[in-house]
Amino acid sequence: MTDTYDAIVVGAGHNGLTAATVLARRGKRVCVVEKSGQAGGMARTVDYAEGARGPEIAHLLYNLSPKVAKDIALRVETRKLPTIAMSPDGKHVEMAGDTLRFADGTAHPEAEAYAALRKRLVKFARLLGQLSDAPPPSLAEGLAGLRDIGGLARLGLNVKRLGKQDMREFLRIILSNAYDLLLDDLADGPVAGALAADAVRGCWSGPRGPGSVFTLLYRLGQGGDVLLPMRGMGAFETAAKDAGVEMRTRSTVASVMVEQDQVRGVTLDDGTILQAAAVLSSLAAPLTMQLAGARHFDIEATRRLQRMRAKGTTAKLNLVLSATPDMPGLSDAQKAARLIVAPSATHVESAFNPVKYGEASAAPVLEAVLPSLSDPSLCKDGRQVISVIAQFVPHAPDGGWTAAQRDDLSKRIIQTLEVHMPGLQDLITHSTLLTPDDIETLTGAPGGHWHHGELSIDQLLTVRPVNGLSRYSFGVRGYYLCGASAHPGGDVTGSPGRNAALQLLAEGVLS
Amino acid sequence: MTHEAVPIGLIPGPFHPRLEALSRAKGWMDWAGYMSPSVLDTAEFEYFAIRNQATLFDISPMHKYRITGPDALAMINRVVTRDVSRIGDGRVGYVMWCDEEGMLIDDGTLFRFSETDFRLCCQERMFLWLLDAAWGFDVTVTDESDAVAAVALQGPTAYSVLRDAGLDVGQMKPFDWHEVETDLWISRTGFTGDLGYEIWVPWDAALPLWDRLWAAGNHWGLRAIGFDALHIARIEAGFIAAGMDFQPVHAAMRLHRGRTPIELGFGRMVHFDKGHFNGRRALLKQRDGGQRYALVKIDLGGFKPAQDALIYHRKREVGHVTSGVWSPTTKRNIALAELKAPYGISRTDDLMAEIYVNQEGRWDRRLVSVTIQDKPFFINARARTTPPAAF
Ligand SMILES: Cc1cc2nc3c(=O)[nH]c(=O)nc-3n(C[C@H](O)[C@H](O)[C@H](O)COP(=O)(O)OP(=O)(O)OC[C@H]3O[C@@H](n4cnc5c(N)ncnc54)[C@H](O)[C@@H]3O)c2cc1C
Repeated sequence: MTDTYDAIVVGAGHNGLTAATVLARRGKRVCVVEKSGQAGGMARTVDYAEGARGPEIAHLLYNLSPKVAKDIALRVETRKLPTIAMSPDGKHVEMAGDTLRFADGTAHPEAEAYAALRKRLVKFARLLGQLSDAPPPSLAEGLAGLRDIGGLARLGLNVKRLGKQDMREFLRIILSNAYDLLLDDLADGPVAGALAADAVRGCWSGPRGPGSVFTLLYRLGQGGDVLLPMRGMGAFETAAKDAGVEMRTRSTVASVMVEQDQVRGVTLDDGTILQAAAVLSSLAAPLTMQLAGARHFDIEATRRLQRMRAKGTTAKLNLVLSATPDMPGLSDAQKAARLIVAPSATHVESAFNPVKYGEASAAPVLEAVLPSLSDPSLCKDGRQVISVIAQFVPHAPDGGWTAAQRDDLSKRIIQTLEVHMPGLQDLITHSTLLTPDDIETLTGAPGGHWHHGELSIDQLLTVRPVNGLSRYSFGVRGYYLCGASAHPGGDVTGSPGRNAALQLLAEGVLS
Repeated sequence: MTHEAVPIGLIPGPFHPRLEALSRAKGWMDWAGYMSPSVLDTAEFEYFAIRNQATLFDISPMHKYRITGPDALAMINRVVTRDVSRIGDGRVGYVMWCDEEGMLIDDGTLFRFSETDFRLCCQERMFLWLLDAAWGFDVTVTDESDAVAAVALQGPTAYSVLRDAGLDVGQMKPFDWHEVETDLWISRTGFTGDLGYEIWVPWDAALPLWDRLWAAGNHWGLRAIGFDALHIARIEAGFIAAGMDFQPVHAAMRLHRGRTPIELGFGRMVHFDKGHFNGRRALLKQRDGGQRYALVKIDLGGFKPAQDALIYHRKREVGHVTSGVWSPTTKRNIALAELKAPYGISRTDDLMAEIYVNQEGRWDRRLVSVTIQDKPFFINARARTTPPAAF
């Protein structure tokens, strides 16, 4: 027996779930096929140990598209978190919106410069953010219609509305590097370090890399507020279920069936066949191509896809602690903030260097959060969980990931934290390390890459994932790309998922 | 591994010692880096030998690629526009392949040993393209260009020459392809539209092959020929040539210089029903939306070769001649010409060509009528009769 649907979504990451929900809410019969036992992809909440729960990979929301939230009726309760830039001298700095002050409440000498810089960046970022909610404007593939011209014109118009001076500034910085931009206005300390770390988190680039201003603006596209999702990011799965999406977990899609240049459905690894006139894949673009088979794509497309750059640089360390660690210089409320360990922009750049040669940073750049302080439902008995993103870590170090190398990396991360959390080591009851390699194994993301493929100038907008395939429709009729490797890119945004589903509907595949 | 220095300039091909000895004209040209004869004696003598006797033309500079492996058929079917599964073992097919926009990259001949073993011969260098095309398929692509020598034996007595050389090809039909002796393959193919064969041997077996054919060809009027004579014959036969009748799109620098097989008059070679092949989606759009150009065979008034002549519909310039010659056999002024659609498709009347002639330093202009032909200019049943007659 084969089941028939209107659309099948490959992968229950938040983008796959978003695409499925958008379609289901428009009356389509949709099935999501997910290889793991739990939906969510990189945005899952898991048991760290003995009932202490926390985010497995992604932990914070800052780039969620409001249009996505509305379209799929996403109900997610959040807490806005300030950011603390940890300083080696203990004079930590709190960044909340446009305000900057020392963690002890005293005035920071760069408060004004910071406020002005951040306002400027957010203004520019929102301009780009608008482009995230629609397929990238495409001239090469033939303007699909007036709507495209509208998108372009709106961007053009809004660039103009910036005023002459801002417009010049926007065009000057957009392709430049974050390091120079930040240090024009800030001293090279923890504040510049935190922003530099934000600019390159998830990327195979240091803040001196061209394009790092773009990636900084990318994460500020919704204004830059950092939100902790209460009880994790399960809301995407709930929204899908509420919309009537059928979920098949523990099922791996082995191949996508194509006949006469039209998608017919998928074959699962146990041989089950599911039929549908539309298949949306949230896997990275090269894998999406391979699921259907290279033979269904033009040679140029396979060549470009094969060469898509995707080297992950972020590792994840998830710890269970027997108690809240000591953090000298921070109040109890501040301990729940987003904590950044990046002493300077120069430090971030130097931390990037070793990864070029297949080695991890000696003193990694960290983004840590203790979600259980804001969300006590995550653990009981006074225990806490701490979720740490560590950069830069190679995907494939020389000789592969040995137990010794993994131990060494965990130690480096813990030691780096311990500078600011004395005694941390003694509180750790469980520790789980996910290298980029592990992340690839868990989710399928090539290289364990944050964005499923580098978010760089040559893989952006009309050339994301690659030239000729930027508008979600993926070669074969009825085949769509709906994950982070599509425009606009990764982060928990839902945009690729929503855009792909809407594009599929607009192209009349299901009518 | 040792590396030999790459020689500067043209290098001799496998038959060069014989060609060199026969060359009175000393007219050499560059064909894929090899010293290749444009003419050995006079183009006229050589041309008439194609149509009345038998001729040898060295085609070794052609690029030859071997494609082997379980997925060979599928891989090639994704490259070329026609359905290769319809070409049998021991058969040869004319094939075209396009880029993602449906623009012709090159055309060539595909020799099928078996479903898992093919040889592709063409004008343009194609190794890297085939490697890209092989990705995702279980195949091996080998460049055999300088491992396999080949000579085209063309003309009404070609069969007799082979027979006297002890090579029995009497049962071979056009586009057949057989190993007649160990390491000696013969295909009944050619670029002249006449009775003819192509003979394929290992590079270092070239000279003995030449000598064997030459000895047998003595009283069948066998001559060695150069490119110029072949050029006339191929236009008569209606064959298109890369760089003349179309610009191989990978070599074209300017935008919009590419042409599709449909525009070149080979729509019948595009098999949309065989599954995906490179450029299929773009070609489908063109099939449904209309072509931009039409390459047509034309018959012109007068006898002045029309190479490069502009073509007009009344006062409007609508195209140009891509290859034009006086055809000695049909006694017609013939050419291939590219017209802008709809000329050559739905509008075929009132076409004129403007031919410039240079008479010892004085330029003159001739306006001559143009008639579109749908058949090759030269057609002769001997090209297909099996077994062939002695001459
Ligand atoms: C260490 C790290 C930390 C991050 N932190 C944050 C953060 O804090 N905030 C943020 O916004 N972003 C963060 N990101 C980025 C963000 O998590 C991703 O960009 C985003 O979640 C990608 O979502 P997706 O739905 O496109 O793909 P994924 O979440 O990767 O989902 C793909 C799904 O497909 C499934 N799958 C794979 N192959 C098959 C198959 N053959 N058949 C069936 N199913 C299959 C996988 O199991 C997976 O569930 C982080 C990324 C990393 C690597």
